[in-house]
Amino acid sequence: MEELDGEPAVTVIPGVNSKKNQMCFDWGPGEMLVCETSFSKKEKSEMVPSCPFIYIIRKDVDVYSQILRKLFNESHGIFLGLQRIDEELTGKSRKSQLVRVSKNYRSVIRACMEEMHQVAIAAKDPASGRQFSSQVSILSAMELIWNLCEILFIEVAPAGHLLLHLLDWVRLHVCEVDSLSADVLGSENPSNHDSFWNLPGNTQTLTELELKWQHWHEECERYLQDSTFATNPHLESLLKIMLGDEAALLEQKELLSNWYHFLVTRLLYSNPTVKPIDLHYYAQSSLDLFLGGESSPEPLDNILLAAFEFDIHQVIKECSIALSNWWFVAHLTDLLDHCKLLQSHNLYFGSNMREFLLLEYASGLFAHPSLWQLGVDYFDYCPKLGRVSLELHIERIPLNTEQKALKVLRICEQRQMTEQVRSICKILAMKAVRNNRLGSALSWSIRAKDAAFATLVSDRFLRDYCERGCFSDLDLIDNLGPAMMLSDRLTFLGKYREFHRMYGEKRFADAASLLLSLMTSGIAPRSFWMTLLTDALPLLEQKQVIFSAEQTYELMQCLEDLTSRRPVRGESDIQQLQDEDIETTKVEMLRLALARNLARAIIREGSLEGS
Amino acid sequence: MDYYGTRLATCSSDRSVKIFDVRNGGQILIADLRGHEGPVWQVAWAHPMYGNILASCSYDRKVIIWREENGTWEKSHEHAGHDSSVNSVCWAPHDYGLILACGSSDGAISLLTYTGEGQWEVKKINNAHTIGCNAVSWAPAVVPGSLIDQPSGQKPNYIKRFASGGCDNLIKLWKEEEDGQWKEEQKLEAHSDWVRDVAWAPSIGLPTSTIASCSQDGRVFIWTCDDASGNTWSPKLLHKFNDVVWHVSWSITANILAVSGGDNKVHTHSPHHSHLPR
Repeated sequence: MEELDGEPAVTVIPGVNSKKNQMCFDWGPGEMLVCETSFSKKEKSEMVPSCPFIYIIRKDVDVYSQILRKLFNESHGIFLGLQRIDEELTGKSRKSQLVRVSKNYRSVIRACMEEMHQVAIAAKDPASGRQFSSQVSILSAMELIWNLCEILFIEVAPAGHLLLHLLDWVRLHVCEVDSLSADVLGSENPSNHDSFWNLPGNTQTLTELELKWQHWHEECERYLQDSTFATNPHLESLLKIMLGDEAALLEQKELLSNWYHFLVTRLLYSNPTVKPIDLHYYAQSSLDLFLGGESSPEPLDNILLAAFEFDIHQVIKECSIALSNWWFVAHLTDLLDHCKLLQSHNLYFGSNMREFLLLEYASGLFAHPSLWQLGVDYFDYCPKLGRVSLELHIERIPLNTEQKALKVLRICEQRQMTEQVRSICKILAMKAVRNNRLGSALSWSIRAKDAAFATLVSDRFLRDYCERGCFSDLDLIDNLGPAMMLSDRLTFLGKYREFHRMYGEKRFADAASLLLSLMTSGIAPRSFWMTLLTDALPLLEQKQVIFSAEQTYELMQCLEDLTSRRPVRGESDIQQLQDEDIETTKVEMLRLALARNLARAIIREGSLEGS
Repeated sequence: MDYYGTRLATCSSDRSVKIFDVRNGGQILIADLRGHEGPVWQVAWAHPMYGNILASCSYDRKVIIWREENGTWEKSHEHAGHDSSVNSVCWAPHDYGLILACGSSDGAISLLTYTGEGQWEVKKINNAHTIGCNAVSWAPAVVPGSLIDQPSGQKPNYIKRFASGGCDNLIKLWKEEEDGQWKEEQKLEAHSDWVRDVAWAPSIGLPTSTIASCSQDGRVFIWTCDDASGNTWSPKLLHKFNDVVWHVSWSITANILAVSGGDNKVHTHSPHHSHLPR
């Protein structure tokens, strides 16, 4: 059967001798743990107790860099702005908006680069200094690539303007990296070509420019032919350069820092009105000539070449391989997608390149304790798999503080992720119960609409009340409102508390009715009836008659119900006998109080009013 | 690793189960659980909504469920219903409640359901695989029909399914019937030696179901079923290794499958994007 897998990349874990020992692994929410085991097929495993190291393998370590965090945060804002650009916008205004977005991204990269550069200089030990410097180079390469993509794909500079943009591009990157002031080939020409091109507000047509240039070029050629400058070899070679002679240019190789500098210079002198589609030919040959067969192209070179060939997919692919995190490809691809440049490249799932990259990037953000919030927005803008990815990731965020839990819940509620809300509330309710924070547990189970759990917590409340004689979290119970209906036990809890309130406010008649109804309606658990009847005692003992005759009959019925169901006890120990004694005394007291109340009630009801 | 990636449980042939706190790259031993009388083969964390619960299974034919109460870990329940080594334990999706599937060398699979108050109900599937069962893996919870907000207290009717791999070289898919009994729904044949591990991929909302399996024969297969068509599972060979493959596992969004085998390496594969760099 044909295999799906290609050549896999190998990640070597330092310290693990893969020749000797078997590794075991497990997935975490965002990373993988790998551990060496003592299992080895060839040798007999020694029964040596050891605590081998556990290695954490992460893809997106950059998430943890302080400086890059700014990059992530600010680009997040730019990303959102881009998504919200009016789809109706077309033509020039749309293009200018997109270019602006691209420039914003680039300025963010540059700012980051600048900061990292400062840190690199200030670094105390050379190793970390080198690390920061290499980060700076990576960022610089990213900006270089992005800039070129902006010129070729977003700005879509036509012939004429194209070279101008490329000149700026080279000047920006070459001159800053080198900081060589003596860049003869670069700086010699501004005066020449500035006036030549008449920028800005260039009103010449391409043909006019071409003609002018042709004229100038021919003039130079004539000077060369006539050996006008034969006496001065420098001037002669300068003339050759100005004619775009490659050999002459290459002689000045040390001043040209790289092949694309060479390319642009060459184009300036040999074909300044180069058309975009012809670029790749010059690019390839410039690269070949510059390297001269001594060295081979680096990844960056290949990326730039792909760009010159207008092969966007290749650019993205190569960048994905070369860079260590998805930030760059995700944002660039998203922008290019907005420029409607990506073909609908259907991958296995039916999602597309843009979405795939954004999903990978956002998943990486979830590994970070606070950057995950940025990830949420990225998932929002992935129409196919964003929601389900968010659902899977958001449940795995450790809810160490109440604040964080509330934040996560708000995000889920805003997106109607009811399952996740329920699950998270249940987890929090559980935690609260274990920490004996019943009020908190109750409010979480209400939010989760979890009847079973609400019942459990209510039971705990009632048990607490029995043990301590008072309620905790009165505020919560008093203000349950319609949430009370969630579970019978909860309703009972709420009503029971209401009974106590009424009693406290001396609304005895209402309290009495409520108490009775709790038993007769069946809401009160049988185990609690004794307590309720005992609560009735003070009402029965009041000077005025509170329970009516009928109510008293019902109470008596409840008492009989309760006592008749008492299981017959066999051999019992001292404690049980004592308990039974107390029970019997209570029942006796109740019977007496009920009987007395009945008598008084009958008399009262039988008498005429006022007599 | 637990749900949040903050804790790690390890098991060993020294009969212990250890729990580590792995936050911020640290490794602090929190608990050393003793209770098994033989090498412990696998551990599994339950969903955090049930508290901190860990299950372990061992050569000693027992399954132990451990629970953390007030900061200390204790044995909460022991299941000794198998006649030989229990090789694999897997918790069901939390939507079904607290249910644990256990696969054993006696060929049987037992399902433990928590019914409250420290009680566990046991259902056993005898002779699930001749010679022995090596791995169990639950299918992700999928609610059939429309998801109307169910009145509290009522559980929606989930169709519970799981996959098992055995020494009969087969992968079997099991479904719970309406009467609560488990029935063999499918048999997946492709391996030529003992199936060592099965892993049902998490759901990403697509109509396809995916299962990965690996075997003593060195092969790793990815099985897909297009739910629209019904019950046809088609295997694709992911890779043939030169040695036994012990373990396969999906990342939480099912975009990467990790495989560990006799060549002492861990391979990661993105089955859906084989043409993109990984």
